[in-house]
Amino acid sequence: MDIPPSASAKSSAGKSAFSLPTVAVPSVSAPGGLAAPAGEALVDISHLDFFYQTSQALHDINLKIEAKKVTAFIGPSGCGKSTLLRCLNRMNDLIDGTRVARGTIKIHGVDIYQPDVDVIELRKRVGMVFQKSNPFPKSIYENITYGLRLQGLNDKAKLDAVVEKSLRGAALWDEVKDRLDSSGLGLSGGQQQRLCIARAIAVEPEVILMDEPCSALDPVATAKVEELIQELRERFTIVIVTHNMQQAARCSDKTAFFYLGKLIEFAATRDIFTNPANAQTEAYVSGRFG
Amino acid sequence: MSESNSTAAPAAFAVQKRRLRLLGLTLDDTIKAFFGGNAVVAIVVLTLITIFLLREGLGFFTQNSQSLRVYRQAGLEYVDFIRAEVDDHTALTRYLSDLRLRQFTALTETKQLPLEEANAALATFDAFADRFGSTVDPLRSLLSDLTEQATAIKTKFIVTGDKKEERRQLLAEGKTAEAAAVQIEETDFAGELKPLLATLPAFKEGNREFGRALLATLDGAPVMPAPELAVRMGKLKQLTRAYVAGLPAVEHALETWDYTRPIPAWKAVSSFVFGRQWLTASFWQDWYGVIPLFIGSLMVSIVALVLAVPLGVGAAIYINQVATLREQRIIKPCIEFISAIPSVVLGFFGIAVLGQALRALSQVSWLSWMPGFPYSERLNILTAGCLLALIAVPTIFTLAEDALNNVPRAFKEASFALGASRLQTIVKIIVPASLSGIISAVLLGLGRVVGETMVVLLCAGNRIAIPDFTAGLSVVTQPVHTMTGIIAQEMGEVVRGSIHYRALFVVGLVLFALSLLINYVAQGIVRKYRISIG
Repeated sequence: MDIPPSASAKSSAGKSAFSLPTVAVPSVSAPGGLAAPAGEALVDISHLDFFYQTSQALHDINLKIEAKKVTAFIGPSGCGKSTLLRCLNRMNDLIDGTRVARGTIKIHGVDIYQPDVDVIELRKRVGMVFQKSNPFPKSIYENITYGLRLQGLNDKAKLDAVVEKSLRGAALWDEVKDRLDSSGLGLSGGQQQRLCIARAIAVEPEVILMDEPCSALDPVATAKVEELIQELRERFTIVIVTHNMQQAARCSDKTAFFYLGKLIEFAATRDIFTNPANAQTEAYVSGRFG
Repeated sequence: MSESNSTAAPAAFAVQKRRLRLLGLTLDDTIKAFFGGNAVVAIVVLTLITIFLLREGLGFFTQNSQSLRVYRQAGLEYVDFIRAEVDDHTALTRYLSDLRLRQFTALTETKQLPLEEANAALATFDAFADRFGSTVDPLRSLLSDLTEQATAIKTKFIVTGDKKEERRQLLAEGKTAEAAAVQIEETDFAGELKPLLATLPAFKEGNREFGRALLATLDGAPVMPAPELAVRMGKLKQLTRAYVAGLPAVEHALETWDYTRPIPAWKAVSSFVFGRQWLTASFWQDWYGVIPLFIGSLMVSIVALVLAVPLGVGAAIYINQVATLREQRIIKPCIEFISAIPSVVLGFFGIAVLGQALRALSQVSWLSWMPGFPYSERLNILTAGCLLALIAVPTIFTLAEDALNNVPRAFKEASFALGASRLQTIVKIIVPASLSGIISAVLLGLGRVVGETMVVLLCAGNRIAIPDFTAGLSVVTQPVHTMTGIIAQEMGEVVRGSIHYRALFVVGLVLFALSLLINYVAQGIVRKYRISIG
């Protein structure tokens, strides 16, 4: 739980920089570019009920995700952890018949489910990495610059700089620097997933959502991605959904355990795995069910 | 069970059993033979059709070669040199009448003169035009004489050919006596052509006189009132001088012409492939050039695709990416239902409604800025193209929608997660990822359109001529005939085995090859650019 000194120094500054949708977006290219100091609650979920058609997927979720920490969501399949993750950047909007019936998700105090929220702006600020690596059928370079080009950035020099920075940030630069123009689909599975991470951080989001990012990777590639998560926590707030409890234990600061659409326990990762308060949590983390 | 096994002697591992046999085949073999047989039938039928098409079609080229030989030997080719010269003069006269029309319009519309006064004002122009036109009269009468002579030679040759055929048939039936009785007079081309060729000095004389007279008339050309018309008159003078300068070349061609020069074999093919005339049942010479029909098919298809591609692909994108489930349930069956309309009904609709409506639309005054508007031909490329578009839309829509559907959902999600709007996602991710499928959808739509017969037969206007491309975009308001249409129209009337009959088969072969090519390219595109999904 060591707080990076640079972040703690500006604990009171720029708290309200995240404002949707009317206020101008703070410059994303500023060093760090991130307003919330580490440890402060960046995402505040309260009393959230969520429905797929008529079936309720989330029941009264209350959760505060802290800035520049890694928060892990664990739980058996179908417990709602991915659903909650996808609520954070409103990816569930793409699925017909989904709705938030009650409660709020506030990021920097702004309720992202208000009708006047610019979803596109939200998604620029809350990036996402998917379970299955999904690079576009374009070159590596085009993959990384996609998000920036959408924002109208076409300056070759700037794009080059971002590509290098993002690929270095995703620990992929040395492996692909000589073939930036070859297709992203030509990379190995682990490289593809790191490419997707690089693509997500290229637009300098504040929060990165990771939906079981390692479930399709072999142990070596998994180790690399986990290492990467450790580096990324310096700059981003990370929320990771995982089936792999060792992974949650290894790379997260706080862990939330879900069961049947309810948040059972949310605490520091060390406590969840060594001293859970709830019997169900203990049963799950010790492998008795799930 | 296990007890009995342990006590009794171990049973054979696989029990042998008598199988039901039909004609010595087991049931499995019979089923296999049944399905295999169906596949074989398909292959056999395809082979038979191909062989039949080729057998009937390829005979065309020998017959065409023969026809071209007669064209030369009977002197028709010789006469056509002079005819071409006269026709070129006619084209100049047409240019002149166009000029008169422009001047007349200028007088009546801009100067508001009544018709009689306008005509009176053009008296000098008309006198000039008359002089210009009549210069060719001596040549024209010579031409008609020569035409008669050449036709007579050709007829004689054809009669001889018929008699030979008669004798051959009689011999085949074993009637030797009757066969011997058939009088055959071999055509002596050299002798027959003599009077024809003897006119050359007269022609030369007349031709020079004609050139001089034409140039002399030019000096009396009236002065044009408007600069725009003066430019045109200058153009006419220039064209006429070039024409007169080309006259000696015709004489030279006639001097060096030799009826004994053999026709090279490739001429039989090239006169079909590059032939600009499809002229049948003519008293003079039949021409089987596929170009006007090919261009007709091409133009109609292009117009159809220009309309159908945006409609089909656009609808596919809407259904696949934007529409709600409810809209999908309504729109999709509607579009697919279009393909259930019989094409003859569409053609009927085209004649009765669409052609009429489009022509009425073209005559609306504030639409006159559109290219080709207003027009008077009700049945033309545009009418047929609109209806063919309707036929192509379901094909393009269904296949393009499939292609869009095959784009992994993950691409879409990744794009949205990076802050792309729906439009950006469609334009930058979905369409590029499915482009190969969309292109092949368009190509298959093209295949559908090129092969369509009934609609073009009813609605394309059926004028066998290369449309006038100098008209620019308004070329689409001209009538054409198509490859499919000509087969449907003429196949019923031709004599089996005649050159015309075989020419239609070659047109069919061209269509066949075109469809094969389109399908092959479409499949190739899909195979080559199929996206491998992460």
